Amino acid sequence: MGHMVTSADIPVDGEKIDGNKLQRIRTICGGIMVGGIAISFPILIAGMFVSDKAQGSYAYSWLYAFFFFTTLSLGGCFWTLLHNVSNSGWGVSVRRVMENVGFVFPFMIVFAIPFLFPQVQEFLYEWMAGHRSVPDNTALEDHLHHTNHLLYLKRWFLNIPFWYVRFFGYFAILGLVIYRLRKLSIDQDNDPNPGTKRLIRARRDSSWGVPVFALVLTFLSIDLVKTLDYKWFSTMWGVYIFAGSALNSMAVIILVTIALRRMGYLKNVVGPEHDHLMGKLAFAFTVFWAYISFDQYFLIWYANITEETRYFILRNTEGWNYVSLVLVFGHFVAPFLLLIRQDLKRRNGYMIIVALYLLGMHMIDVYHMIIPERGPSVGLVVDGKPELWLNGSFFGDIIAFVIVGAGFVFFLLRNIASAALYPNRDPRILESANVHN
Amino acid sequence: MSTTVKRVYGYLAEFESASSLYKASEKVRDAGFRKWDCYTPYPVHGLDDAMGIKRSILPYFVFFGGLTGLATAFFLAYITQVGIYPTVVQGKPANIFTVPAFFPIMFELTVLFSGFTTLFGLLGLCQLPRWNHPLFASRQFHRSTDDGFFIAIEARDPKFSAEGTKGFLDEIGGANIELVEDDGN
Repeated sequence: MGHMVTSADIPVDGEKIDGNKLQRIRTICGGIMVGGIAISFPILIAGMFVSDKAQGSYAYSWLYAFFFFTTLSLGGCFWTLLHNVSNSGWGVSVRRVMENVGFVFPFMIVFAIPFLFPQVQEFLYEWMAGHRSVPDNTALEDHLHHTNHLLYLKRWFLNIPFWYVRFFGYFAILGLVIYRLRKLSIDQDNDPNPGTKRLIRARRDSSWGVPVFALVLTFLSIDLVKTLDYKWFSTMWGVYIFAGSALNSMAVIILVTIALRRMGYLKNVVGPEHDHLMGKLAFAFTVFWAYISFDQYFLIWYANITEETRYFILRNTEGWNYVSLVLVFGHFVAPFLLLIRQDLKRRNGYMIIVALYLLGMHMIDVYHMIIPERGPSVGLVVDGKPELWLNGSFFGDIIAFVIVGAGFVFFLLRNIASAALYPNRDPRILESANVHN
Repeated sequence: MSTTVKRVYGYLAEFESASSLYKASEKVRDAGFRKWDCYTPYPVHGLDDAMGIKRSILPYFVFFGGLTGLATAFFLAYITQVGIYPTVVQGKPANIFTVPAFFPIMFELTVLFSGFTTLFGLLGLCQLPRWNHPLFASRQFHRSTDDGFFIAIEARDPKFSAEGTKGFLDEIGGANIELVEDDGN
């Protein structure tokens, strides 16, 4: 930006995206989402059209796709909260993008509906099947006490009614937090007397929003992914998921801000300085992800406790070992070197490639968390060895990913189109537009 | 009467505010001076661009310093733990596949060596520590740590001239222009 941005450069009523420009892509994404749901839900819930094995396999595919896009939206909530609570000035001009990515989270419950059905849960969550195998609720404790002591001891947390309460709680509570923050921000856009009232309010609400976010992210990932193997535990799990979601949500935010600028928006308020700052955050979280994921591996590897090691033994068996190695080099070493240089972080074309690459690595990361459990859970045991890989299951993964991905894009575009593209009446918009680092 | 020959360090000029210093330094930059510097009581954002300072080469030193630390730690751990004196803990083998056990020390030495390279590279590039600086001979210069904004153009700059540079500093708004002489300490 050649000159200082002044209030003359900021449109009074804000910059809104021309709805017609997005109409076609929204229609396509919405169509894929609705059509995909119409076909997928009967398959998942009733096992229509397909075999039992394929139904179970597709349940894992759906969990994979759902969890991947949920982590992206959770990251959006995190960046919004962090931006408010740290009283940051630099990112006011991209804060609306953060809010829009974060506000996809409450909509993600649409894709979570199948997980509420026992027909889907029986494939994914062994502990639920264990609980349901006893029809009489009063006999359950006694039964578990005699047959599965570990599950008996964990019953205060892993019991079906509490699971449903938690499940709806996550979406309701964090959904409310991000809805209120986004609403505060949007109301400011039309206020004839915009002051610092909402700024301070948003900071105050975010200060309790951060622990709420931390609890929701941790326990959502525990309930949906970690309990695929109820025997396993890892104290690093929540922060591991958090590291991946914050990093890749930043990749989405980078992509959206670049796309909006290529379409001719945000030009007055977002420039190479913002690209640089967001690139730095992506770089920092690349290192953080490596730190946390290695710690998780390292603690389990060193302690060598039977219940903990199973996770990594399974993921270091046969083909999965290569996936683990790809993560080491592809999710850490390569992005570390790609993002280390300052001048490259300011180049949009370069950052598009890096952000897409990061998202691709996150796909492999989430795949590596969820899918290795599928073979042993859904497959057969041949000669005393479980099937590690189900033939043809990969197609289900791609289909589920496309459907949920289309839904994510649909809701993201809905959020982008429903409000101004940046908080034009925020007291610190000029500070952000002229940021220098 | 002293017979000592004093060497001219350069001209020192005061500016009234950070913004006038900023504008003046853009003009000094555009005039093509190379050996000159700004002195302010606090960091002025964007001044390095206004002065036309290129990016430091320090990051490249740090990158290779970090790599040296990484390699040092790896060989230190590998030679002692695998080569010379393998310690068997919990029946774990000692070979190249136990490299995760060395990661903490590899990480720490990477950080340590990078830190050292940053510190000593910075000191080297700034030519610090030094006993004295010729500008300390100026009686007004101590105000650069209080409320004074200064630009000093050194005599060793090829564009420097006794009259021309003084006139130039005057023209861009400098006050209290002073010819600073190295007092030889």
